[in-house]
Amino acid sequence: MKSKKRSQQIWLYALLLFITVITVGPFFITLLISLKSPNEGIYDVLLPSDPTFANFIDSFAKADFGLYFVNTVIVTGIAIPLNLLFCSLAAYPLARMDFRGRSVVLALIISTMMVPFQLYMAPLFQLAGDLGLRNSHIGLVVMQVSTAFGIYLMRQAFLRIPKELEESAYLDGASKFKVWYLVAIPLVKPTLVTLAIFTFMGTWGDYLWPLLNSTESSMYTLSIGLAQLSQNFDGANLKLISAASILTTIPTLLIFIWLQKYFISGATDGAVKG
Amino acid sequence: MARQPIVTDPIVRSKPLAKRKNWRTSFFTPWLFLLPSIVILGTFLAYPIIEAFQWSFLDYKIIADTGEYVGLANFKEIFTDSTFWKAFLNTLLFLVIVLPLNVLLPMILAVLVNQKIRGVSTFRVLYYLPVVTPMVVGALMWKMLYSQNSMISQVLVWLGVFDSPTNLLVQSSTALVAVSMITVWKGLGYYMIIYLAGLQSIPKDVYESASIDGASIFQLFTRITFPMLMPSVTLVSVMTIIAGMKVFEEIALTTGGGPAGATTTLVMYIFDNFMSLDVSTASAAGLVLLVMAIGASLLQMKLTSKREDDLRA
Repeated sequence: MKSKKRSQQIWLYALLLFITVITVGPFFITLLISLKSPNEGIYDVLLPSDPTFANFIDSFAKADFGLYFVNTVIVTGIAIPLNLLFCSLAAYPLARMDFRGRSVVLALIISTMMVPFQLYMAPLFQLAGDLGLRNSHIGLVVMQVSTAFGIYLMRQAFLRIPKELEESAYLDGASKFKVWYLVAIPLVKPTLVTLAIFTFMGTWGDYLWPLLNSTESSMYTLSIGLAQLSQNFDGANLKLISAASILTTIPTLLIFIWLQKYFISGATDGAVKG
Repeated sequence: MARQPIVTDPIVRSKPLAKRKNWRTSFFTPWLFLLPSIVILGTFLAYPIIEAFQWSFLDYKIIADTGEYVGLANFKEIFTDSTFWKAFLNTLLFLVIVLPLNVLLPMILAVLVNQKIRGVSTFRVLYYLPVVTPMVVGALMWKMLYSQNSMISQVLVWLGVFDSPTNLLVQSSTALVAVSMITVWKGLGYYMIIYLAGLQSIPKDVYESASIDGASIFQLFTRITFPMLMPSVTLVSVMTIIAGMKVFEEIALTTGGGPAGATTTLVMYIFDNFMSLDVSTASAAGLVLLVMAIGASLLQMKLTSKREDDLRA
């Protein structure tokens, strides 16, 4: 009986490891390619014979990835605080106040969530040009500074917290804004973290909109720089692409490892919207 | 700011507003809260959406910023365009490939990482890594893996699938399957978490009494786990359909829609038309995509409300 259980466990671990090879393998191989020296073939041997960081240095020196990195940090740095602020502001009356038009506003906001970006990207492209937002950091994040999904998520969070605390604050004569800021916001902090993660993931790796709106290479984000680099998808350049891919991924991995539990709870929160 | 009246029960739906005594909130307060979002969403979301509707009925020239009304000509154009129908078919085909894999593989993963064994939480993290990887990176990594001299083609030769090393992305018969695998890989960990939440809501004593009755592990899975996971299956299916019809990066960065249109999906079709400045055609095709998205959302609403009815009954 005991040995049967043991062999079952060995099979289980073998299966778990096999799946790990599939999920993590591509990163591992990309990392190995990025460490190969210039005179080594990409696919010759798996392990680099003479590991070097030259490709990482080249991605800064030859391919401007330092600039792309800074651009990506700037747009993410704009998007996260603004999206948290505007969504939690907008969500509050939709959860807690009675006013004429509330259900209409709510329905309109929620229904925009199912509109595919590809439907309105061309008019948005033209609008961004008209407003002087082409090739600007703020222009890259117009879709992320207030999101329907964020408003929905924050509203759900406000609905879940008990009303009593806010009510006693009103009794003490606090204004709506003060109650929002001093009582309600501290109670929805976990959801704010979740929304920060969603905004980070959406902005850091965003591809289609930055591709359209950055026509000058000085405004490329990491995703766009990487995509442009991959136009030349051959031998020597693959090492550079690999190094840049690893650079692009490291910040998201660090944040994932740091805020793991929020990623997991956020996955199920986000699922509700479909 | 003036002292605000006490709002005792702001979200009770059963009581009509007029009957509530303390309902006297300033007219402007809620709109002040909403103002930034309404301005931003109105400008960068609502306005472009309305314009897209208009453009689909115009012969719009984006550079000249003018267009003549052409009625349904754009729709006639796309519905008689064989490229559009190929893109439509490819989108459906893509969903047919991805849907069963997305439903089944993450379920197996969830059952595995739900076992009480040492180190299992590490595996959960490792399975989630593709989810947090930017899609551009994921697509390029797989493009390298698919290349003729790389891993996948060598494994396929070794398995005897091909006689000589073959890049799956450049064969029109295999390209769509190849890009689908990138999508499946990227989503495995995400859907695993959805299933895991479903698994953890199944009461433990159901399993205990079944194993006392002598049920095998396989029977436990087919008779208890799978039926109890049906709500999660619905959720994963609908999410896969909604996300799948918008598939873009993994195609744009690997095959670019080729070879010979074999991986041109609806979104690629819209993108290609946009790039050739045929924005009215792109808008018309975008409306088709919108109709499909609305259809999927209605399906979701129907299925989830049915689920709630089932739970209540």
